[in-house]
Amino acid sequence: MLDAFSRAAVSADAKTACIGAGEIAALKQYIAKANTRLDAVNAITSNANCIVSDAVAGMICENTGLIQAGGNCYPNRRMAACLRDGEIILRYIAYALLAGDPSVLDDRCLNGLKETYIALGVPLTSQARAVAIMKASSLAHINETNTEAQMAESNQMLQQRYNKMATVKGDCSMVSAEAASYFDRVISALG
Amino acid sequence: MKSVVTTVVTAADAAGRMPSASDLESVQGSIQRASARLEAAEKLSAGFDAVVKEAGDACFAKYPYLKQGGEAGDNQGKVDKCYRDIGHYMRLINYCLVVGGTGPLDEWGIAGAREVYRTLNIPTAPYVAAFAQARERGCSPRDMSPQALAEYNSLLSYVIESLS
Repeated sequence: MLDAFSRAAVSADAKTACIGAGEIAALKQYIAKANTRLDAVNAITSNANCIVSDAVAGMICENTGLIQAGGNCYPNRRMAACLRDGEIILRYIAYALLAGDPSVLDDRCLNGLKETYIALGVPLTSQARAVAIMKASSLAHINETNTEAQMAESNQMLQQRYNKMATVKGDCSMVSAEAASYFDRVISALG
Repeated sequence: MKSVVTTVVTAADAAGRMPSASDLESVQGSIQRASARLEAAEKLSAGFDAVVKEAGDACFAKYPYLKQGGEAGDNQGKVDKCYRDIGHYMRLINYCLVVGGTGPLDEWGIAGAREVYRTLNIPTAPYVAAFAQARERGCSPRDMSPQALAEYNSLLSYVIESLS
C-alpha cells in the first residue's frame, strides 16, 4: 500500500533518481491542502451510514424488482449483504482519499471484486448504480452542497439540528475531483 | 511502504472501521512536520553530488589502506562502487525524508545489507566514516533550517546504526 509520499519514492526509485524539486512541489500541494483533505475524509466517514443507505435505497427505488421474491436484495439477509458491501467500498474510498493514492483501493477492494460478484450472481449494473449515488452524495457532503447543509445555511436553528460540520468554506475543487476519481475507479472496475 | 498514513490505514482496515478522528489527528501531526522534511529532501537532492563526493572522500581519507592491493578499494572500479553505494544510501535518505518514515531505507537499503557486505568481504566501517562525516558537515542555517537538519541527521544516524 502506498500514499502520495511513498508513491513519489517508488517512482523515483524506478529511475534511480532523487526526489527532486518538481515532485516535492507536488507534495507541498498535498500538505498545503491537507486540512481540506482531512475535512473531506471526515465528511465521508461522519455520514457513511447515511450515504450508504441512501445509495442502496435509491438503487432499489429505480429497480424495485430487487426486493421482490427472487430479486438480489431479497430476503433481508441479502439486503444486509448489499448494505455491508456498500460500506466496505466507501471505506476503501475514504482510505484512498486519506492516502492521496488509489493503491489501497485497488489492492484491497477492487482486485477480483468483479469476478466475485459475477460468481455470486450479483448484478453489476445495480452495484455500479449504488456507487454512482454514493459518489453524488459524498461529493455533496464534501462540498457542503447537500440538502441539509443548504437549508442550514440560512437558518441558525436548523444548523444545530442538522449537525452541520463546523468547517470554513473554502476551495474543495481539487479534493472533490480526487474523490470523484476514486468513485469512478470503482464504477469502471465493475463495468 | 511504511509511512504514517499507511500505518493508520492498515490499522483501520484490520479493525474494519472508517478512519477515526484520532487517525485523522495522527495524519495531521505528521503533516505538520512534513515541511521541514521536504525542505531537507529538496536541499539534499540539490547538493546531492557534492554531498556524496565529500562523504566518499572522507572514508578513503580515514582508511587509506583500502586502496592498497587486495583491499576493498584496490582499483578505480571498486572505488567508484563505494561512491555509488554512498549515493544509494543518500538517495534512500532522500526518500525517507519525503515519506516521513524509515520504510525506503529498511526495505531497499538495510534489509540484507549486512549479509551482502559479509559475503563480498566489504568492511562497513568506511561507510560509517562517510556518513559520520556527512552528519558533521551539515550546518544550519547555511545548508538548511535547524528542524530540517535535525530530520536529515537522524536518518544519517539511522544508517550509521544499521552499519555498525
